[in-house]
Amino acid sequence: MCFCRKVQASNYGKTLTLTEDFSRGSTRATSDGPYDCQNTSQPTQFKMKSLETFFGIGNNSSARLMSRFNIHPTCRVGELANKQVLDLTAVLSEMKIENDLRREVLNDIKRMKETGTYRGRRHALGLPVRGQRTRTQVGFLSSLS
Amino acid sequence: MASSWCWNCLSRLRPTPRALLPPSATPRISSAPFHSTAVHYAQPAKKKGNSLTVMKHRQSTSLRRKKKKVADRGGRPPAVGERKALRKRIVLSNPNALEIEGMLDLSPETMVDSRLRGTVLGLPVPMIDQLRAVQAFKPKQGWSIFRRPGTVLRRDTIEMGRLFQQLSGEGDDAQKGKVVKRIVTGMKGSGKTVHLLQAMAMGFLKKWAVITIPDARELVSGETAYAAIEGSNPLQYVQPTATSALLTRTVDANRELLASLKVSQKHPALKMLKPSSTLEDLAKLGFSDPAVSWRVFQALWTELTATAPAAGLEKDFQPRPPMLVAVDGLAHWMTESAYRSAEFKPIHAHDLAFVHHFLSLLKEGDSLKNGGLLLYATSSSNNPNPKALSIALDRLAARQAGISASSPEYPRPPAYSDADPRVLDLLQPAEKAVSPVELQTLGGLTRDEARGFMEYFARSGLLREIINDQWVSEKWSLSGGGIIGELEKFGRRVRATASASK
Repeated sequence: MCFCRKVQASNYGKTLTLTEDFSRGSTRATSDGPYDCQNTSQPTQFKMKSLETFFGIGNNSSARLMSRFNIHPTCRVGELANKQVLDLTAVLSEMKIENDLRREVLNDIKRMKETGTYRGRRHALGLPVRGQRTRTQVGFLSSLS
Repeated sequence: MASSWCWNCLSRLRPTPRALLPPSATPRISSAPFHSTAVHYAQPAKKKGNSLTVMKHRQSTSLRRKKKKVADRGGRPPAVGERKALRKRIVLSNPNALEIEGMLDLSPETMVDSRLRGTVLGLPVPMIDQLRAVQAFKPKQGWSIFRRPGTVLRRDTIEMGRLFQQLSGEGDDAQKGKVVKRIVTGMKGSGKTVHLLQAMAMGFLKKWAVITIPDARELVSGETAYAAIEGSNPLQYVQPTATSALLTRTVDANRELLASLKVSQKHPALKMLKPSSTLEDLAKLGFSDPAVSWRVFQALWTELTATAPAAGLEKDFQPRPPMLVAVDGLAHWMTESAYRSAEFKPIHAHDLAFVHHFLSLLKEGDSLKNGGLLLYATSSSNNPNPKALSIALDRLAARQAGISASSPEYPRPPAYSDADPRVLDLLQPAEKAVSPVELQTLGGLTRDEARGFMEYFARSGLLREIINDQWVSEKWSLSGGGIIGELEKFGRRVRATASASK
């Protein structure tokens, strides 16, 4: 792992603050300083949604994470106990999310390009990769690749 | 300029090359000969789209609608929780409705008086705060159209009043210390929730301890916090916030009673409890700190069901009163809850300690040591409709009708149906034992009761009809045989047409 995350139990120990400290350069321009997700996880926001603000956590992972620590579906961030926050952050720090995951995806694409696979070529050309038709309606697909 | 037509043969002559012709004074019209506008007055042609323009992807080119601007209605947006508060508001009085002269209140005497059957008895005014505290009134009930809240004394009510009398140890056939366990069912609008309200009112009148769960759904819908109880097998879960709310409700409603009873048992788990404190103080420990609320509730329950004091605490011991436990919306407890275990499996409602506690009271034996009444009502407007419960209730009805479990008429779940065995076992008595639970099905009012109820509307000034037997009989039939919720609609509907015809 090239970064460590810390939880700071802010003022009244309620707001979940995740700080990322990147020791190496990363793909994100904003990652030079601490990345603070405080804005996206207000104490009044549902916990589930707050988890889903992380790249790499969707509704399934967030529901599983929450049930793992006995957090009910309509819990708000402000209602979490300190221990739950710590447990949750411990697990999050071991998961591949955010920039790690982004970098992995980019590396995969890069590898495919370098080895000259069909998928790599399609990525390089900016064309759909998974066999979709290109006769019409290619706009959205090429924006993905 | 010469015409380009040859007038002899009407054929077109070859036009003279333009370069050879002298510049003419009038502008030459090259196209659109029927336009009356001179070319130099015409607007300049629009630029055609450049073919090199990049096609815009991800943007529809076919149809572009203008978005309507949302009109600003002015005023401030509703504050957080304001709309919910409005939705949940309970109005119990309408100053425009007429006051009914000579309306009797529900009292220990009137609630068993069969001469008053069919009349509407008012709920005593000092008790209304208690009933509000236990959330006996529901927002969609029609309390807000009358001057003061009142309920009909129907057959089931009088029968329940007599039961209260017996269980309190009064009257001829006193049965003090007995526990009556009932599941109340009935059609939609048959008055199940109001039946519970009447029971609570009677409980308060008889100075019983009243514990209610006004909405069983709230405990299983994943809206309150939950935590596993370490070391329990099978794993059970506590709901600290919901327990705290239950303690608050109980203390608000039974303050007088709980303040008069002293702690009589030892509670090693609650270190902060003084030996001389009252049950009110005990319950209050759970208000502020949800972490201990479940332990406080268990302590309160042992206190209320205590029959004798523990050694060393005999001073100030008073016998505990009977208890009324009322639960509304039982069916929600008969399925899997919205909570999930740490392994992401759904938690069955019976694994929630709170739910388990109240369901285990239905089992055989004296679950309430000082006697009392358990009333668990189903709901038909908010019903998850678990198959297993309907079969279990059918079985209960069959056992009451004397059908044995070996009989072919005894209800069984359909083959290959996934009826929940835990629910079926819950209401199943042990072999050859008498079922501890009674099934009470609320039906419609009788014609006489319906007449009394409709007269109540008329005397409140809501219904402008001459109420005679024929009219009542008609409405009784139209309401599906006196279903009280439907009868109420007649009282209200006539009121609506009367005001429209003005």
